Amino acid sequence: FAGLADVSIAEDIPVEGEITIPVGSHSPDEDYSTLDEPVRDTIVRDLKAVGKKFVHVMYPKKSSALLRDWDLWGPLVLCVSLALMLQGGSADSKEDGGPQFAEVFVIIWFGAVVITLNSKLLGGTISFFQSLCVLGYCVLPLTVAMLVCRLVLLAGSGTVSFIIRLIVVVAMFGWSTLASTAFLADSQPPNRKALVVYPIFLFYFVISWMILTFTPQ
Amino acid sequence: GSPPQALVDDTEDVSLDFGSEEELALRKAKIRHPLATFFHLFFRVSAIITYLFCDWFSNSFVACFVTILLLLSFDFWSVKNVTGRLLVGLHWWNQIDEDGKSHWVFEARRVPTRAASTEAEARIFWLGLIICPVIWTVFFFSTLFSLKLKWLALVIAGISLQAANLYGYIYCKLGGHKSTSRATSGFFVTADVPKRQARRTAEDHTEERGKTGTR
Repeated sequence: FAGLADVSIAEDIPVEGEITIPVGSHSPDEDYSTLDEPVRDTIVRDLKAVGKKFVHVMYPKKSSALLRDWDLWGPLVLCVSLALMLQGGSADSKEDGGPQFAEVFVIIWFGAVVITLNSKLLGGTISFFQSLCVLGYCVLPLTVAMLVCRLVLLAGSGTVSFIIRLIVVVAMFGWSTLASTAFLADSQPPNRKALVVYPIFLFYFVISWMILTFTPQ
Repeated sequence: GSPPQALVDDTEDVSLDFGSEEELALRKAKIRHPLATFFHLFFRVSAIITYLFCDWFSNSFVACFVTILLLLSFDFWSVKNVTGRLLVGLHWWNQIDEDGKSHWVFEARRVPTRAASTEAEARIFWLGLIICPVIWTVFFFSTLFSLKLKWLALVIAGISLQAANLYGYIYCKLGGHKSTSRATSGFFVTADVPKRQARRTAEDHTEERGKTGTR
């Protein structure tokens, strides 16, 4: 390779050219494999998205995750766990609080649908499912409150326990309402914000009331 | 006359090697995605069976309710995200663009891939998709008239979830070639779901290649 030792490029000749790399030209076989990605991957990805949204609810600031990549898994899980905790928890029997369970379910979902319809009728720009998603995820603080209440009730059900439960429920109610209005009120024209916030307030108030007045059999 | 041997030689088939044994078997198989086909039917049928025979499984209303609800949710997710793509090459989803406007996108894959679905799979897919919502509608009326109203919420949830998938896929099938679906998949700018974007870009290119006829 001695002859190549003095191969050099003059300084003043610009060396340039084009390299084209085909981007996005997946062959059909590769296409098949990305569509057929192991279902485990899809599940893990969706679970991570749900987890991210839970975190965003606890620290409410305007984030696109809750609004744009909406999903209803979180609300489903929260609704089911809240409904489970709100029923007597007695042993299996024919009359084991069946109607109460379905009631909680219907209240939460029907209430969320009504609020969404209300905000759309008032001219909101947010879409139907986005609004359901936000309202559902913001039930998280109240679910935590329910858990705390049940634990406190295990210890006793006197005045002290009532005061503790009251404080916890009021705090979580405030948190839920603030979190959801942080996401939802922005999509409304400024003079209508109160009209949108009021039903949300009522919705979480009803849920908080159910939590506070819960007494195990 | 001409010897019959020559005639036989002219008309004799020459076997060409089309590919490995595996590919041949894949192409011949009636069902190329056995797992997807199984799961497509498994969740729906289990939900219906659990609803019908919940008294045998458990005395608790709550346990049955939660089980059926979870089965219905898993069924909705798997039919929407997995089995539709694999069995019939259709996909529908909702996407929200920069302005916060929501678009429903319906896509139908036109270029058949190496392991495209067979007719048997497509038939199973559509039968399963159509028959189950009809059954849940029958349940709705039977619940209403027998006044077992505590089940009504569940039946309504079942009908909504299954009808949503049915509507989405029928819309894909009928309108998948419309220009709107291709135009909106071009809008896709979300940076935080790169995998989904790559998948859609791949589908987009597959469609476009099919359109121009190049390989």
